[in-house]
Amino acid sequence: MNIAITPAMVGQVVISGILAGALYAMVALGLALIYGVMRVINIAHGPLLMLGAYTTFFLYSALGLNPYLSVPATMLVLFLVGVGLQRTLVFRVVDAPELSSLLLTFGVSIALVNLAQLAFTSDLRAVEYLTGSFPLGPFAVSKTRLVAFLFAAGVTALAFLFLQRTRLGKAIRATSQHREVAMVCGIDVQRVHLITFGLATALAAAGGALLAVIVAIQPEMGQIWTFKSFLVIVLGGAGNYPGALLGGMLLGLIEQGASLFLTTQLSEVVAYVLLVVVLLVRPTGLLGGRQT
Amino acid sequence: MTAKTLGVLIAAAAVLAAGLPVEAQGPIRIGASMSLTGTYAKLGNYQHEGYKLCAKQANEKGGVLGRKIEFVIYDDQSAPPTAVRLYEKLITEDKVDAVIGPYSSPVTEASANVTEKYKKVMVTPLAATTSIFKRPPDKRRYYIFMVISPSEVYLEGLVDMAAKRGLKTIAIINEDTLFAKAAASGAAELAKKRGMQVVFQEGYPKGNQDFSAILTKIRAANPEVLAASTYFDDAVAITRQMKELNVNPKMYGLTVGGDLPEFYNLLKQNAEYITGATQWEAALPYPGNQEFNEAYKKEFGREPVYHSAAGYAGCVIYLEAVKRAGTLDSDKVREVLLKLEMKTVFGDFKVDQDGFQTAHKMVTTQWQDGKKVIVGSWRRAWLPRGGAPSPADRTRRSPNGERSRGRNVASPAGATPCATRSVAAGPLMNSPG
Repeated sequence: MNIAITPAMVGQVVISGILAGALYAMVALGLALIYGVMRVINIAHGPLLMLGAYTTFFLYSALGLNPYLSVPATMLVLFLVGVGLQRTLVFRVVDAPELSSLLLTFGVSIALVNLAQLAFTSDLRAVEYLTGSFPLGPFAVSKTRLVAFLFAAGVTALAFLFLQRTRLGKAIRATSQHREVAMVCGIDVQRVHLITFGLATALAAAGGALLAVIVAIQPEMGQIWTFKSFLVIVLGGAGNYPGALLGGMLLGLIEQGASLFLTTQLSEVVAYVLLVVVLLVRPTGLLGGRQT
Repeated sequence: MTAKTLGVLIAAAAVLAAGLPVEAQGPIRIGASMSLTGTYAKLGNYQHEGYKLCAKQANEKGGVLGRKIEFVIYDDQSAPPTAVRLYEKLITEDKVDAVIGPYSSPVTEASANVTEKYKKVMVTPLAATTSIFKRPPDKRRYYIFMVISPSEVYLEGLVDMAAKRGLKTIAIINEDTLFAKAAASGAAELAKKRGMQVVFQEGYPKGNQDFSAILTKIRAANPEVLAASTYFDDAVAITRQMKELNVNPKMYGLTVGGDLPEFYNLLKQNAEYITGATQWEAALPYPGNQEFNEAYKKEFGREPVYHSAAGYAGCVIYLEAVKRAGTLDSDKVREVLLKLEMKTVFGDFKVDQDGFQTAHKMVTTQWQDGKKVIVGSWRRAWLPRGGAPSPADRTRRSPNGERSRGRNVASPAGATPCATRSVAAGPLMNSPG
């Protein structure tokens, strides 16, 4: 029963961990953005990812659009959904105690999942596009996961460039650092909030679009991503954007490593135990909390 | 004088009234709680249609014991506590003549406490959890009867084929939930019995989306056979990643999911030669199966699934037992059912002293050139280990041995030492028919 673990196996698992980690990082960056700017923990983040996956599926099955080409389209659609949500609901709880925003987004999350069940049924769907893997020495690199990794890395890099270089990105960071001062400096905070929520939703949607090619699509596929993203931003430091990258990679590697060295059943346990340890030992996360 | 006349009249009326039911009997009313809405609605409705078709056909042949069959059905919304209340109502308020099983293992587990309390025979066509039937001697159930094969035998066809071909090593993985776990442990037990070596066995959490690590380990263990106890989305994900990671066992079989048309539609050539397991297929040459398929399609305008066939067969079996017993009396019908050996459209029926199904065969299917081919059906070699209570179970029992409904429903954990419990959904919930 006991299988000797060889270096090749470790290497394989490290590759899988990194491939998964980039996706975690990208999706979690969305959650970190919303939290950083508005202090809202968006429980509906995962269900929004699910909507992204369905958007890609329908673009693929109805219009025959290549699932990878549909990533920008899906992001745009969900950007608008995000803006709509912020405009109608989330803006009401931005300054309210954090419990209010938790309850609101929790409600939105349940509503989204059940609406998806009504609209799309619970039947499983999948986009069968790329299969197989690239051999890399003794390792196999999954094609779909490699492409997802490249996309996730690209999108995340673009998001960072946007935050670092553009006026709007700077406005977002300014609002995240100190809302009143940003307001005094003439930044339209409401508009920044709208764009932040839209952008964060687009990041979740990109994750959904890439996952559509990897796993089966169903209305309940998203919730687990809320938890994973939350884990990632707490690990990295809530509201700290580079922290989301580090946390994502860490989660990917920890999950895969725990599956290899312990058992797959324990991989989630290990990740969440680590969450508790980080909260106890270093509550601000590995890279420190919100940038000030 | 007038008082006396009145007395005579009353007496006469009483005699007449008492005599009436004997002269003109109403229909035999069979009560059931069914999952017509809620989580199990899709499958519960198939079962309900099976019951309806059975009653219709029985009535066309003049009914049973000279009486028509009439179902009294309530909707339990897929909730075990609701089903408990409904069976209580059916038996005490509606005073039905008989009861028949609900949908799914959890609902059956809860309802069986009520039907046992009132000593009502209940054929339960869609409960596959062994622990509902195999219980410690002091908690035995006397009046319930199993129709479908238990979870543990889902992978039996695969193991048997592998053993016959002289394959020696097997890896078994399962989703870490009740049904999948039971199927995996049944497969492991049987593989060992057949002289195969279980080189790897591990569970994975529900909702797992990345199987790289577990498959890397399997590749290292290099088994000749891979048995995966899955639902559907995990079956698809595992199959895709096996391809990516070059995990290539000689045989690869799944439980639920592998036999569904959607599975092939998604995976196309990657699904080739993968085996799946099911309780029943429309194409099986069981007596009357073809006629059943046709009648069902005519009646309901859709193809039957195994839940329909099991429901239909459960009702047919109960009515046959009543016919042979010549009465609706629970104890007499029970005696007949315990000895009954019958072939229905759903396959063989025979139970042991616990009402546990021993004759029904699972069907193993395989994808060959895009077609699902039935590669065999298996009479089970797997049998549950005896129903004796473990010491732990004895201590957990309530000291006064009282039989409280609340306790039984709320804490099935105290009920049985078996690997499969019935708290969560049975094997059927995720199989989209």
